Amino acid sequence: MLLCENCANFSYCYLITKKLVIYKKVAYIFTILKEHRGFEKQIFLLAKNELIKTYKGAVIGPLWAVIKPAFTIFVYWFAFTAGIKTLKAIKVDIGVNTLTFDFFTFMFVGFIPWFFILDGIVQGAKTLRLNRQFITKVKFPVSTILTYTSLSRLFVHLFLVIILYVYILFVVGPSWYNLQFFLYCPLMFFFFLALSWSTAPMSAFSKDFENMIVSIMSGIFWLSGIMYNTYKMDPPLNFIMLFNPINFFVNGYRNCFLYNRPFFEYKTELAIFLAEFIVVFALGIFNYNRLRKRLPDVL
Amino acid sequence: MAETKTEPIITFKDVSKTYILYKNDQERFKALFFKPRNPKTNKALNGISIDIYPGESVGIVGDNGAGKSTLLKMITGVTFPDEGTITVNGKVAALLELTAGFSLEMTGRENIYLKGYILGLKDSYIKEIEDKIIEFAELGDYIDQPVRTYSSGMKMRLGFAINVNIEPEILVVDEALAVGDASFKSKCKAKINEIIESGTTVLYVSHSADSVKEICERSIYLKKGQVVFDGPTEETLSVYNEDKEAEAMKKKKK
Repeated sequence: MLLCENCANFSYCYLITKKLVIYKKVAYIFTILKEHRGFEKQIFLLAKNELIKTYKGAVIGPLWAVIKPAFTIFVYWFAFTAGIKTLKAIKVDIGVNTLTFDFFTFMFVGFIPWFFILDGIVQGAKTLRLNRQFITKVKFPVSTILTYTSLSRLFVHLFLVIILYVYILFVVGPSWYNLQFFLYCPLMFFFFLALSWSTAPMSAFSKDFENMIVSIMSGIFWLSGIMYNTYKMDPPLNFIMLFNPINFFVNGYRNCFLYNRPFFEYKTELAIFLAEFIVVFALGIFNYNRLRKRLPDVL
Repeated sequence: MAETKTEPIITFKDVSKTYILYKNDQERFKALFFKPRNPKTNKALNGISIDIYPGESVGIVGDNGAGKSTLLKMITGVTFPDEGTITVNGKVAALLELTAGFSLEMTGRENIYLKGYILGLKDSYIKEIEDKIIEFAELGDYIDQPVRTYSSGMKMRLGFAINVNIEPEILVVDEALAVGDASFKSKCKAKINEIIESGTTVLYVSHSADSVKEICERSIYLKKGQVVFDGPTEETLSVYNEDKEAEAMKKKKK
């Protein structure tokens, strides 16, 4: 590949090609990749600034990143163990054994990916509308907006994971299976990033779509296995729940930190998830390319 | 430069742009999934073909809504045509929306890099022009403060300084541009003139016939998304003025 001296972004590089065609139907799959090329450093910088934007101006600033989820977890724990009083322990079948887990620990591990997922879906859908100054006024690699905003949320997530892991070390103890986190976490990042390739341009197009996503999400919480064990549901429900990708990550985090189970043990779950990943990825690329050129007109 | 003269730096070929006007939000929502059936549309540009050669200064005249800003936005790469192709063979500096496109939490210096990257420049090159930009923008110590704390005049100055110091091959100027106080304004004018004299291709949008005459040897008259006249500025302006007079007469008759 020929690289020129002054140019980092080869999609608009005039020095390599000498002839730049703005309106060119490039192969769909590469448009998003191309927009990221040479922009990596800026993405990190923009992600950092996104964090500053979110937490600055409050007296305790970044502490809110912890207080908000901590309060949510407390409220649910309070309602279910002190209020309804039925949930003290959760039983999970692992291999031939049935293990019992403390409800709080079980819930805690489930909530950590959920916070990232909830923000990823809701904020991800709103992102383009919120960053419209980059779309309607200047030429900007639009798909990187989605990347840097979700990257900033990933930083918050990693911070929460550290807190979770300290807790796990004391209560459950370390395990080699913990390392699977480095598989689940990037997978989660990319899955919901690819989802936002569809939802963000569509929400930019229609506020109704955005509102639809926001209102669905509060219900989705109860359809995902954060508060309960989906494997233990009555069939066929336990099978149907495998189609919810949120469950894949919630159960996956529990595989890492609680169950000490390898990610490939439950093959049906993995296969269904991978198929969904491919569909979401393909749809994301399709929708992004379909709507990208209309975005400056509708925002 | 003589041999490149034969190859245009900007080419528009049968470019059309249609804005779809949705009746209401329901229509808009539906349009996400289905192609709208005979929607109301506004043709901003209708089959435009233009060649602009390196070193030319081209004025674009026309009434509001004639498609001037759509045309400029396409050259800067903000909007895209529905039909036709646009070829741009160079770095474009746009003096259009100077306060827009900053990341407000970043410092002025970081924003210089951000804009540079968007324009496809490399680190080493941006570093080279960084000092020139800071000096031109007259921001002093503010350059390391977040852009959020800038006054609108400071933002404009920074935006202007970045755009004129990247050594553009194509300069797009909107005459309605306002850049801070009088002394800075004259500095800007001088800089623009310097760029024009250096042989940069200039696209100049204006309502005032005098300034177009001053700067551009060639002009294009746009009306309702079509090129009415393309030629030497004197002729274009006379066509434009005649047309306007004729329209005014029509209105009077009604």
